[in-house]
Amino acid sequence: MRPTTPPNHVTPASPAIREEDLQAEERFEDELIMHLERDQFVAETSRPVPRAQLSRGATAGLWALRVFVIIVSLMVIYAFIAQLG
Amino acid sequence: MSATEAPVSPARLLPPPLTEEDAARSEDRSRVHLARGHRRRWYLLWLLVGPGILAMIGENDGPSMIAYAADGAEYGLGFFVPFIPILFAMAYVCQEMCMRVGAVTHRGYGELVLQRYGKVWGWFGAGDLTITNLVTLVAEFISIRIGLAYFHLGPGVAVALGLALVVFTLSGGRYWRWERIVLGLALFNGLFLLAAILVKPHVGTIVHSLGFSPFPGGNFNTLLLLLASTIGATVTPWMIFFQQSASADKGMTPRDIGHGRYDTAAGAVLGAIFGLGALICGAALLTHGGATIQGFTPGAGFPQALERVAGGFVGTLFALGLVEAGAVAILTISASTAYAAGECVGASHSFNSSPRNATLFYAANIGVAVLAATVILIPGAPLLSIALNANVLATVLLPVSLVLLVMLANDRDLMGRWANRRSTNVIAIAVIAFVGVCGATYGIDSFLRAAHLIGT
Repeated sequence: MRPTTPPNHVTPASPAIREEDLQAEERFEDELIMHLERDQFVAETSRPVPRAQLSRGATAGLWALRVFVIIVSLMVIYAFIAQLG
Repeated sequence: MSATEAPVSPARLLPPPLTEEDAARSEDRSRVHLARGHRRRWYLLWLLVGPGILAMIGENDGPSMIAYAADGAEYGLGFFVPFIPILFAMAYVCQEMCMRVGAVTHRGYGELVLQRYGKVWGWFGAGDLTITNLVTLVAEFISIRIGLAYFHLGPGVAVALGLALVVFTLSGGRYWRWERIVLGLALFNGLFLLAAILVKPHVGTIVHSLGFSPFPGGNFNTLLLLLASTIGATVTPWMIFFQQSASADKGMTPRDIGHGRYDTAAGAVLGAIFGLGALICGAALLTHGGATIQGFTPGAGFPQALERVAGGFVGTLFALGLVEAGAVAILTISASTAYAAGECVGASHSFNSSPRNATLFYAANIGVAVLAATVILIPGAPLLSIALNANVLATVLLPVSLVLLVMLANDRDLMGRWANRRSTNVIAIAVIAFVGVCGATYGIDSFLRAAHLIGT
């Protein structure tokens, strides 16, 4: 992802101007950073959360619900197609 | 978030690299910090409302408003006057969890399910969402088409209007801009309330119907269809994906959860009031052949029927309301699809990113709307059946999404002290059971009738 452009970003003509720009850039980034919580940054949210260990019962329950929902969905779709006929 | 905490290394003490998405979100957060610092309570509330109202009003979409009006036209006010607010209370319980999980984890529902419970569940959820969103989006374009047909405008205008809105709202490259435009449009959902006032309902009848009476009778399957579609008109999978992702995209934090609750509650109250408006409009047609009105037939639907009963102005308000309801839902449902696509693939998924950095997000947002719009231009497409079944399919597929949401909201590794309380779990499980039973009963009954295994 492209880093944001700081204000007054100009090509430095002299070391003095370059120093001033760098300081402005740092201040701008500091101000932006302080308004966000650390785990709000894209760099942080891009890291996946660890996988949860589901119990056998929970996994079986989820699969049972999933299969049930698919069966009922197919019934609704069948009824929908039958209506068209 | 304790699940992602690692031992603190010197590198972890440095601020992470700043992206354009971070910068845009930080700018929005700076206003929140200033408002909080200066104790400007109303301004703070104004800054933090959005995802909750949009989810609730977005779900007061075209098919939903027509479902409410059909309830009124078929059965009158009884039963549905208290039933609709109860459904919105149920929606509040679900949406509050979404907001809370989004604010605490800063992640969308799709990516959390995928990362926490595995790819199978993540992709199942995304698949459910894509199917229901596509069908619902078709119904939204139909809704705009019905509304515009009242003004003698054709389906081409409905498609152009819907797509132009999607592109326009996406053009700013900022979440804040997108949210405020859609909130502005959502205000016009109040047209249904205005129309309801103008049909001059009998206040005594409304008060009497608060006692759930008279209970609707007649054909069992029709009643189940209306119940399932009314539930599907209030709680759907896209709302779960949308509000959690939008809360994260807005930059909400645990400190904002109180305001997030106000936002969600305000959305639920407004949604219920405007939904009741559509119900009352429909009920005005009860003694004027309301049960025979084909709500999804352009040129012969509720606006035309209301014009005959209550005058042209009421018909105009209802028609404009349908256009608004369809338009807002197109924007929010397309956004939920885009969030889910980005989250499941692991690509950038934020309104605060530019199209160049979040190509998939923007492409999915526009692509799903284009796909749905194309369907309504197909000559002879079964638009009526699609629209009627959109909410029902959402109801049938909802329980799995809700169960995974409750699991996330109870995950103490993710949520810490913001995890669900026991009372929230009891209500949430009751909601899941109710939605599951209604959806399944309708599905099974319809199948048995369609297969001629029981009498029609």
